[in-house]
Amino acid sequence: MKKLAEVLKDWEAVIGLEVHTELTTLETKMFCNCRLSHDDEPNTNVCPVCLGMPGALPVPNEKAIESIVMAGLATNCEIMRHSMFYRKHYFYPDMAKNFQTTQGPVAFCMHGHLDLEVSGAGAKERPDDTAEKDADGGYVAPIRILRIHMEEDAAKMVHVGGEEGRITAATESLIDYNRCGTPLIELVTEPDLRTPEEARLFMEKLRQTFLTLGISDCSLESGSMRCDGNISLRRRGETKFGTKTEMKNINSFKSLHDALEYEICRQAEVLEEGGIVYQETRHWEPSRRRTVVMRVKETADDYRLFPDPDLAPFDLTDEFIDRCRARIPELPDTKRDRYMADFGLKRADADQLAGDPTVAAFFERTLAATGEKNVETVAKVMVNLVPSYDALAPAQVASLSTLLAEDAITFAQAREVLDAVNGTDEDPAAYVDAHGMRQSTDEGALGAIVDEVLDRCADQVQQYRDGNKKVLGFLVGQCMKAAKGSGNPKAFNKMLAERLES
Amino acid sequence: MANFDQLSAAQIAAGVANGDFTATEVARAALDAVEARDGEVKAFLQVSADLALAAAEATDKARAAGEKLGPLAGVPVAFKDNMHLVGTRTTCASKMLANYESTFTATCVQRMLDAGATPVGKTNMDEFAFGSSTESSAFHPTANPWDTERVPGGSSGGSAAAVAAGEVTVSLGSDTGGSIRQPASLCGVVGMKPTYGAVSRYGVVAFGSSLDQVGPFGRSVEDAALAMNALTCGGRDPWDSTSQPVATDFLAHLNDGVDRRRVGIVPALMEAAGLTDEVRDAVNAAGRALQDQGAELVEVELPNIASAIAAYYVIAPCEAFSNLARFDGVRYGYQEQGCATLAEQTSLSRAHGFGEEAKRRQMLGAYLLSSGTYDTYYYPAQQVRTLITADYARAYEKCDVILMPAAPRTAFKFGEMSDPTQMYASDLFTISNNIVGNGGVSVPLGLGATSGLPVSAQLQGPAFADTTLLTFARAIERSFSPSDGGAAVAPAFAGKGGELA
Amino acid sequence: MPLTREDVAGIADYARIALTPEELDEMTAYMNDAIDLLEPIRAYDLEGVEPTFHPIGDLSNVMADDVPDTEVRHLPVDVALKNAGASRDRSFRVPSILGDQGGDR
Repeated sequence: MKKLAEVLKDWEAVIGLEVHTELTTLETKMFCNCRLSHDDEPNTNVCPVCLGMPGALPVPNEKAIESIVMAGLATNCEIMRHSMFYRKHYFYPDMAKNFQTTQGPVAFCMHGHLDLEVSGAGAKERPDDTAEKDADGGYVAPIRILRIHMEEDAAKMVHVGGEEGRITAATESLIDYNRCGTPLIELVTEPDLRTPEEARLFMEKLRQTFLTLGISDCSLESGSMRCDGNISLRRRGETKFGTKTEMKNINSFKSLHDALEYEICRQAEVLEEGGIVYQETRHWEPSRRRTVVMRVKETADDYRLFPDPDLAPFDLTDEFIDRCRARIPELPDTKRDRYMADFGLKRADADQLAGDPTVAAFFERTLAATGEKNVETVAKVMVNLVPSYDALAPAQVASLSTLLAEDAITFAQAREVLDAVNGTDEDPAAYVDAHGMRQSTDEGALGAIVDEVLDRCADQVQQYRDGNKKVLGFLVGQCMKAAKGSGNPKAFNKMLAERLES
Repeated sequence: MANFDQLSAAQIAAGVANGDFTATEVARAALDAVEARDGEVKAFLQVSADLALAAAEATDKARAAGEKLGPLAGVPVAFKDNMHLVGTRTTCASKMLANYESTFTATCVQRMLDAGATPVGKTNMDEFAFGSSTESSAFHPTANPWDTERVPGGSSGGSAAAVAAGEVTVSLGSDTGGSIRQPASLCGVVGMKPTYGAVSRYGVVAFGSSLDQVGPFGRSVEDAALAMNALTCGGRDPWDSTSQPVATDFLAHLNDGVDRRRVGIVPALMEAAGLTDEVRDAVNAAGRALQDQGAELVEVELPNIASAIAAYYVIAPCEAFSNLARFDGVRYGYQEQGCATLAEQTSLSRAHGFGEEAKRRQMLGAYLLSSGTYDTYYYPAQQVRTLITADYARAYEKCDVILMPAAPRTAFKFGEMSDPTQMYASDLFTISNNIVGNGGVSVPLGLGATSGLPVSAQLQGPAFADTTLLTFARAIERSFSPSDGGAAVAPAFAGKGGELA
Repeated sequence: MPLTREDVAGIADYARIALTPEELDEMTAYMNDAIDLLEPIRAYDLEGVEPTFHPIGDLSNVMADDVPDTEVRHLPVDVALKNAGASRDRSFRVPSILGDQGGDR
């Protein structure tokens, strides 16, 4: 198969995503008051409603409706005042009623958009003539969101017998309804994405947004956030859409990128060989790095959708929507812009700090402890050092940042300190002192060493004065050695230079 | 002492509260009556003797402890077998649920128990409430206590027959297209379908979710009113999204006068094809009786009511298909054994678990909801629903209630109405009220001049005017009930067993 | 146009109701009779008429608090499973789902 870059010169990839997100931060299910279940024993968080017992009736979870309205507001959607729940029928026992309660043509949230900022290597996936790129090759891709609707998740099925995990070989299946009825929001984009990197960035941005809203833990690995990709190719310049395939089993950002990359290349090969792309659902196999056919869609599925008579319609009031709006915290883009404006951070650093709400909170607590004068150092530590550790407290990072800002330790020493204090409650400053790592910047104490080294190394001093400035490094090394590591190299450098130039 | 079948619900509750007799004595009398009468009537699918005696004992203990008793203390009640009651099976008269053990208790049942009622058992019905004769029960037919060669009507035929035969004092049924009012009419008892939303549907196996409503049967309007109080006094049910509060005391206005109040008559309905003379004459007599009490008869039109049956037979099968999709033999219900695949197990479980009419309705619904057909039938049917609702709203600008027949004729013989679509057409007087969600009540008018079988009048009212309906029903009852004691127990069964010891 | 036997077989397949050839004939006749009964619906001019899906007046926005109920309606696993035709390991059990992959969600 051809490489992606080569394929995308001739073909335009048209990608749309369907993203399902479980509202994991709620206490209860969508239409009953069963506790949301993560890894409880099978069928322990169930009631007549979520088991689809005859005679049981649904009542919508208000907090779930608030969550989806928040999601809609945060993704620039229009919040539809009037909407209804519908029943979507298919016979499969993971849905206890053999229909899923979902929304119809009008969802709670319609017609939103998110703007993606694509930069660096990722921007290179898009051929240069198809987007307005800046000097660094970056560009902004506006991605329209068709809708976000409210629905309920299905039960978990375990397929037993035959080759492990292979549905087709299983002799029986076991059903656990704990997950059945978990509040689920489905976001559908317009087919506005053009590269696997854009798709990956969209998912990341969506995840950051939902995490900031606090409506879900957004874990692709555990399946609380799931993504299906629709993809078709068309010759560059063509306006008609090609036949699309749907991709399932994408459980990481990397899978999303790689599955789309594979599928684009596969479709290009099929089309270039004069073949036909069939409308089908394909399954990504990460271990074999390929997609395989799950099922062919010969005709559109007929789900017998109709308004659920058991659920009263919604006429959301301004008051309700305003209440949801008031609950929305500062979103990642706004936060990033603030970090750049208030702290003078570089865009990439600001993006990294603002993107993940837990990182942003950590950063802001650290900054509060050090004072804003040290923001540059704190940002540097947060971006370059902290991600390698799993158990640091903001106070520790603040202390470490202060040491660095005061030139009491070097960046290399900082790693050593963090290795030692990670997972403990030890203060980095105390650790540095206890281990004699603090580097002096006191010119009085260091002056004697500098003078001694200059006396001892008359040859090198002469070389310097003759114009060989590189010898300064040697002299700093001599000072460090004489100080047994406790002198700050920057301070030695400065003092040596002053004395040699005078 | 008296036979319990001669006592009203209020008399039983008062007697228990006063210590004239105990709830346990009443329960034993009811169980004795069932024992003596039900071999022939076959109103019951299950008799819950243990639950009945336990509830009665609890009532007696509460009295002994000086607690205030509920308004239905010791009153024997029966529940249609689509209502869950823990400790009983809930079969919907279907092989599909023949062994289904209730895992929770329906709100309507619980409220009757909370009012002190004694649960005597679960009554027969058309399978999943699909029918008007109770003949589609998978287990056995129920006889009309007035003529055991004839059907009791349906689908709540067992609940109507149990009250008519004096086996219980009050029962609950559900009404999707007339399933309370029509059997009440055929069995000569009072049957009330309240406004949609007045009584919780939680725990009642759904047929048509936007049409179903639970209501009581009794031999007197007062008994129906007492049951309505029990069903609604707890306020709206938080477990039913379509439930609404009914802030009223149904007894308080029972004996209000009807002087100068207006009763609507729809001339087209009184000329409807299939309406027998004896029923028409009886309904006209009911109108005159109301006039005699000072009410004014006014003509009103319901121009779109002729389309109500068509709208109903779109909406009801669609909702039924959807509601019955859950019966796949996995979580509960009949499960075909020895199937290699899930698809096979599902299709055969449904094929062999459901009876003919249940399959027909679901097939029709699955067709009507399919993507090409939805816009041809389903959506227009819901628009026609709007037109019928508007017709009623206009009519109620001119009158307080509308008087019409409940059923076009008296009870028919078993097997007489074998063509399903012919049976559908007989619902013409009841169906429109389910379409619009309003309340209606069937009031006995004694025996028909030709057939000698029970005939009745139906009163319909605006949404949440159910109290008014009972006021008018009571006014009719005053004129038609011998000695004003409500309807008589069917003579073939009155006094058979059931003596209060 | 009346429904054909094949149309009805397709609906039965979708509705997961296995029909014998004889039942299929009867069902086809029934379906066509029933559809004839619905004819009045098609005769209407309904331009501009809003549908009434819920006969509940202007009742709307019915919701419940996000508060767990582990007592009142919660079902212990043995009760949840007691009406099931087949179960194993605290789970409902179904035969092979071969050729049956559910909906598109």
